[in-house]
Amino acid sequence: MDLDTDVPMEDVEEHQTKLKVTNPKASTSTNNSNTNGRNTLSSNVHDENAIGSINQLDEWIDKLSKCEPLSEADVKKLCDMAIEVLQFEENVQPVHVPVTICGDVHGQFHDLIELFKIGGPCPDTNYLFMGDYVDRGYYSVETVSYLVCMKVRYPNRITILRGNHESRQITQVYGFYDECLRKYGSAAVWKLFTDLFDYFPITALVDNKVFCLHGGLSPMIETIDQVRELNRIQEVPHEGPMCDLLWSDPDDRGGWGISPRGAGFTFGQDISEQFNHTNDLSLIARAHQLVMEGFSWSHQESVVTIFSAPNYCYRCGNQAAIMEVDEQHNRQFLQYDPSVRPGEPTVTRKTPDYFL
Amino acid sequence: MNIAYKTTIALMLSPQEKKDKIIRSTDIDALSCRYSSNRLSYFFPADPYTEILVQSYQKNLQYCQGYTGLSSGRLLRSSFGEKKFPLINRGTYFRTKAIDLIVDQFLKEFPSGQIVSLGGGSDTRAFRILHKYKHVSYFEIDFPESVKIKHLAILQSEELKNIIEYEGDDKVEINNKQEFENFQPCLHTPRYHLVSYDLRNLAHGSKDFVEQLQTFNPGLPTLLLSECVLCYMNPEENIGCLKYFKDICIDYLSVVIYEPISLGDTFGATMARNLSERGINLLTFNEFPDLKSKLKFLHDICGFQTVRLTDLSSIAGYGRRSEPHKESWVDVQEIYRINHIELIDEVEEIRLLLQHYCFCFAEWSPAQNQKHLVGIDRWNWLESLN
Repeated sequence: MDLDTDVPMEDVEEHQTKLKVTNPKASTSTNNSNTNGRNTLSSNVHDENAIGSINQLDEWIDKLSKCEPLSEADVKKLCDMAIEVLQFEENVQPVHVPVTICGDVHGQFHDLIELFKIGGPCPDTNYLFMGDYVDRGYYSVETVSYLVCMKVRYPNRITILRGNHESRQITQVYGFYDECLRKYGSAAVWKLFTDLFDYFPITALVDNKVFCLHGGLSPMIETIDQVRELNRIQEVPHEGPMCDLLWSDPDDRGGWGISPRGAGFTFGQDISEQFNHTNDLSLIARAHQLVMEGFSWSHQESVVTIFSAPNYCYRCGNQAAIMEVDEQHNRQFLQYDPSVRPGEPTVTRKTPDYFL
Repeated sequence: MNIAYKTTIALMLSPQEKKDKIIRSTDIDALSCRYSSNRLSYFFPADPYTEILVQSYQKNLQYCQGYTGLSSGRLLRSSFGEKKFPLINRGTYFRTKAIDLIVDQFLKEFPSGQIVSLGGGSDTRAFRILHKYKHVSYFEIDFPESVKIKHLAILQSEELKNIIEYEGDDKVEINNKQEFENFQPCLHTPRYHLVSYDLRNLAHGSKDFVEQLQTFNPGLPTLLLSECVLCYMNPEENIGCLKYFKDICIDYLSVVIYEPISLGDTFGATMARNLSERGINLLTFNEFPDLKSKLKFLHDICGFQTVRLTDLSSIAGYGRRSEPHKESWVDVQEIYRINHIELIDEVEEIRLLLQHYCFCFAEWSPAQNQKHLVGIDRWNWLESLN
């Protein structure tokens, strides 16, 4: 049995079935009457549509892996396909081991390709990304297009959570909006992606033991079930539980504190331990903060921060890391430095700003 | 000789000229940061003069050495047209604010004191200070071209002429490189002196430079400002420049130095690499990599008696202490105001960047004199030596 083609085929097939359930007009198949729910896995949908989608996605992935952006029309198609997948994912998306957990990428496309070299290619390796694909780096468009393509192509192999930068407001300050204008001549692609971001799941739960999210805890959330009750399909709010999950940070001080970022909270070891105890968790894995070694433990190993953008912003000189969790729940960190970028002309790259 | 060929000749710069052109261009970086922060209302009250300096660059940069209409337009568009990240705006605010605080304290304790700004380029502090304090004399020293840009800005603005008490009403319009070349850089009024001079020469025995400062009074308390200026000179030139002012001042000299430090870490190494890709070499960056070595330099080598040092991160309240608001030089309401101008998405990054900028205060007075800026310890410092 050839896993390489079989597993992904199954993935896309499942996606195609969902497509029929929710959007009958988009389907060319007329003989599928079995549309009673999202878990339907019809065996007779090996139609041309599915094959066509796979080919299309593989073409896009090929193009993107050369760091070439898709056309606006293709981005539209891709985002439509992605909504059909992501809208059925849960606020707390279940994920199985083994899985490789990754932090912020921030438009550093060449370093993302390096990440897949270090961690192993997807779909051979399962991936969980904890948000912040766009802004800051120079290739946000290519980075988010690539990850969304992978998500649609291998929906059961890769999970992409929402970070605080997957938001209309933040992307207008930190670069993604301007990059879209520059690369497409209009804000249309920015609109497509930021509309799509509303569907991204906000947390994931690895084998009921590792709770993964971009930022951290919220004083309004005590149990994981409370996360399940949120209505996440919206712009990241300025306050409240959904905002906190994407913005908060662990801190050396106990209890809840005011965040220096101006959104979310800081939470102490007492809060993390209580949350892990209440929800029978072994670990909270999160991203969101630059850590010089790429990963950093806090709260006596009840929280880990993972950051996957090496030399963040081409300025910070930090290492990046990803965390592998195997079938026995053993964890291993893989650290890496910036890719050498043979394809990238350094002369045209703007020097990052300093005070001069 | 055809025109294209003539232009090529005009653009041919020696390696040293190229380096100096790059150093002068850092003034456009600083101005564009101030322009961006000001536009977003970081400064309160707003800085009304930055815009006038921007206009002077827009008119005259094309006539500067090594620029054409096209290349100057490109540089100005990318400098003033592109958005700055919030951490740059915020850092620019804190850098400006911290120096303002010291200048205010200096003029409070020494109302007839004088201020000498080294390589201030298009900085607008002189105008703000001359407007606010009616007894201070202000001296600005920079490369001829940078001085010309500022001189032309002043001549274009009735407001600036009034502030510096400029009597003439000459209108100068520069229309080509030759006119710019011939334009007399220096400008002198009773309280304001804009002087064109290459500060590196102070290390090489130009004893009579002080005469160019005209009304400079060695017997008055003097505050010397270096905002990212000495860092482009080598250690000998640093010593030469600081010692020169120590030698001519007979009453009291204090100096504020704000500039990047490497801290010997990967962030510092990345900074050096990124800047050298742009042709900028920081000549004391590794020689004096941290606050302790800066302290040694100012005290042991340059002979200043009192030294205080901190970094911009601590000034801004991003240090690692448990009560950041108590550590910051800026009061809580003001921090609250600027925190709400733009969301900071990454605190660790801003802390890292600001940690790599030192803020030094050093003073010297003759033994029989023993003058001090007594208010200096109103603010938190990380290192100090009396």
